[in-house]
Amino acid sequence: MATSEELLTARIVCRAVLPVIKVMIEDAPKTAAAFQDTVGRVQFVADDPAGRVGACLCFDRGTFTVAQEIVPDADVTFAFSSVAKMNAFFAGKPVVPALGPLMKGAFGRFGLVVNTVKLMLGLKLLMPTASPKDPVKARLKVKMTLYMISTALSQLNKAGDAEMNKWTAKQPDRIYQWSVDGTDIACHLRVKAGKTKAGRGVYTRRKPFIHMRFAGVEGAIPVLNNEVDSLQAMARGLVVSEGSPEYGAKVGDFMLRIAGLLT
Amino acid sequence: MPLSQQELGELKRTAAKIRRDIVDVTGWSGGAHVGGSLSMVDMLVLLYWKYLRVDPARPDWEDRDRFVLSKGHGGVGHAVVLANRGYFPMEDLKTFNETGSKLGMHLDGAKAKGVDASTGSMGHGLCQALGMALGARVLKKDTRVFCIIGDGESNEGSIWEAAMAAAHYKTPNLVAFLDRNHYMIDGYTEDVMSLEPLADKWRAFGWETRVVDGHDLAALAEAVEFAIAWDQGPVMLLCETVKGKGVDFMEAKAKWHYGGLSAEMVAKAKQSIGEG
Amino acid sequence: MAGVESSTSWTVYDATKLSAREIYGVVLSDLGAARPDIVGLSADLAKSTQIGAFGERFPDRFFNFGIAEQNMFGAAAGLAKMGLTPFVSTFSAFASMRACEFLRTDVCYQNLNVKVIATHGGTSFGSAGTTHHATEDLSIVRAFANLTVIVPADGFETAQAVKKCLDIAGPVYIRIGRGFEPTVYDREDESFQIGKAVEMRPGTDITIIACGPTVFHAVEASRVLAENDGLSVRVLNMHTIKPIDEEAVLRAVAETRRILTVEDHNVVGGLGTAVADVIAASGKGCAFTKVGIPDTFTPHGYPEDLMNLFGTDTDGIIAKVRELLGREFEEDEDWEDEV
Repeated sequence: MATSEELLTARIVCRAVLPVIKVMIEDAPKTAAAFQDTVGRVQFVADDPAGRVGACLCFDRGTFTVAQEIVPDADVTFAFSSVAKMNAFFAGKPVVPALGPLMKGAFGRFGLVVNTVKLMLGLKLLMPTASPKDPVKARLKVKMTLYMISTALSQLNKAGDAEMNKWTAKQPDRIYQWSVDGTDIACHLRVKAGKTKAGRGVYTRRKPFIHMRFAGVEGAIPVLNNEVDSLQAMARGLVVSEGSPEYGAKVGDFMLRIAGLLT
Repeated sequence: MPLSQQELGELKRTAAKIRRDIVDVTGWSGGAHVGGSLSMVDMLVLLYWKYLRVDPARPDWEDRDRFVLSKGHGGVGHAVVLANRGYFPMEDLKTFNETGSKLGMHLDGAKAKGVDASTGSMGHGLCQALGMALGARVLKKDTRVFCIIGDGESNEGSIWEAAMAAAHYKTPNLVAFLDRNHYMIDGYTEDVMSLEPLADKWRAFGWETRVVDGHDLAALAEAVEFAIAWDQGPVMLLCETVKGKGVDFMEAKAKWHYGGLSAEMVAKAKQSIGEG
Repeated sequence: MAGVESSTSWTVYDATKLSAREIYGVVLSDLGAARPDIVGLSADLAKSTQIGAFGERFPDRFFNFGIAEQNMFGAAAGLAKMGLTPFVSTFSAFASMRACEFLRTDVCYQNLNVKVIATHGGTSFGSAGTTHHATEDLSIVRAFANLTVIVPADGFETAQAVKKCLDIAGPVYIRIGRGFEPTVYDREDESFQIGKAVEMRPGTDITIIACGPTVFHAVEASRVLAENDGLSVRVLNMHTIKPIDEEAVLRAVAETRRILTVEDHNVVGGLGTAVADVIAASGKGCAFTKVGIPDTFTPHGYPEDLMNLFGTDTDGIIAKVRELLGREFEEDEDWEDEV
């Protein structure tokens, strides 16, 4: 029986991690090329006595979406015997082959399987151990991580996490903005009276309440990998947090929590 | 012995003149802080006729020594000294207290020449004097700053803030006189708000402190010369004085902190003061 | 996992390191190089008020007076009398109240060239609570003759105020926040003039007159009201409370007929009252409302939350304007995360 923390992690995997595959497909030319003619659905599903948990990657000739459901007729299925195991898979932990995912339908769609595995490997960019030297990969990592984090924070709230709910409950309409100097990478989180909405790009309808600005992709990676703590990061000019330091610190805490759930 | 016999004699006569003039002004102005002005005359005379490096013709001379009367209610005493010293005509003293005149209970430096700080509220002057002393340091000048504070005034916390800071900054160019005349408006200082042991307090605050008879010009002169020469930090000359000194019916009486004098009383007072 | 804990070990006193926007400390320090007459004074708050930057560069011209504000202001007067130009910095609550008489009697009465940098104005020292909130300081210092009172909108404007207050031969009180306030400008505006309000946004339906941290919020509110409600909301940055820009106020009265003042300060005696003085004296009819702290003491809390509590932030101003103009508004209800 999955614990509430495992279910929370799974929720974040399905709703915040998987969707950033879209960034790889749109921004990495080779990945885009690999999927430009693909039509197919890849299901990730974990068994649980309380009900199966999972999401489905839907490829349609270059466009990509994640369906938050378990479809009966996916082209390929990665099945896990427990939510914990699925979470572990996405945390990059080695999965013992015998108990690993059962890939059904694999033989008919070998190409899709291979490409999906490549995507899974691509998702490893999100790990705190990934410090790619290749500038294209570095940029991808930062964009994917920020998109993932903003959505994860919103999902944390929507999932009913007590600490997050308490923090969002009394806030008036506020925008928490992330951006990377010298790039077009930006995303935000809108918070208002207990509700949250993650968004892409710079929010234009009002100025941000907190704006975390990274000094380029090179500045962002050590911070996102937690190689430096927030004070050091600011002292070294890797990131500037404009706005209330108390609220900025709290966002940082929640970002760390997300990182903790996913590793 | 810093004062020759002749100098001493002249200063005594000057002090008597100042006292008589204070009594006059108190008379024609309708009332003044006569008691506390009479008690500090000897200090003032010594400063303005011997030790202050000032020029009455150039009251704004940048390099002059500064004098701050922190017990600003002694304005009548200060005004009389300034007039006698030539900062403004003696005639101006006739307008003391008149509405719109240049001279009043608490002297206004914007109106009266020679007033380095406009004081009145207790506990402000020493702070300003400290600022001036520090300013001289920044400007690398050897300007000396002298300040007279009152004993009642020493109830004010800001006096002690200034004392603490002066010791911290070891301002050797700051010399303070405490006019210890033992009386304030509500009576004997030790009955109202006790200050003793006062000299100990100043020493504890880090000031080189000397207790001296505030009416013995020779002793005062020695004390001032010591203070000027002392270069380790600020000096406090705790001057034992008599409120109303010189006028027998005023001496050591709280009621003469402030008072008016009829023509008859003026005459009696001046007679008591004598020629010095 | 790298194993470092989240570090909130900065202290409320470390303004210097973290508030990138509060640049006046650097500005003063640079001015100090050009002006040997400038001296800096602090009351044990050199780090918190940024004057420490000056102090580090010019230790012979910097004096810490410890926690003794009265003496500090008296000494500032003395330093000014020697021809120097003292910049005195402490928290607004202490500058205006603890040292009140010394500011009034030693500095203002003698019309001395002392420049006061009063930091942590209003509720900006949030967590420190009521004792450290300066919610009456503007009311108090406005009443001092000879004093110029400036409440800059952000760090850039503070830098301008610091530079330009040197052109005034007399006392100046510059009241700023804690240094984490959002910026309204993106650089220093060299056209800044003491005594001249800045029209941040033009408008005809109503005028919001704001000062200090509320200027940012007024500008945001004006923008939202324009985009969502189709309202034309003028915003005046009234950085100089004294002497107030009467002409700008009167123009707003004539051209918009509705005035809303917003300040991080009690509604008694501050910006609102100063504006009201002008309106009343003009004899012209005008709808007038003050937004600020409603004559109560303020609780502790994060300053952004306190501003929200008292309606002096963007949302509060928007709601007030809508209320005044009798408008309803449909909220945006799509809360689905974007992908």
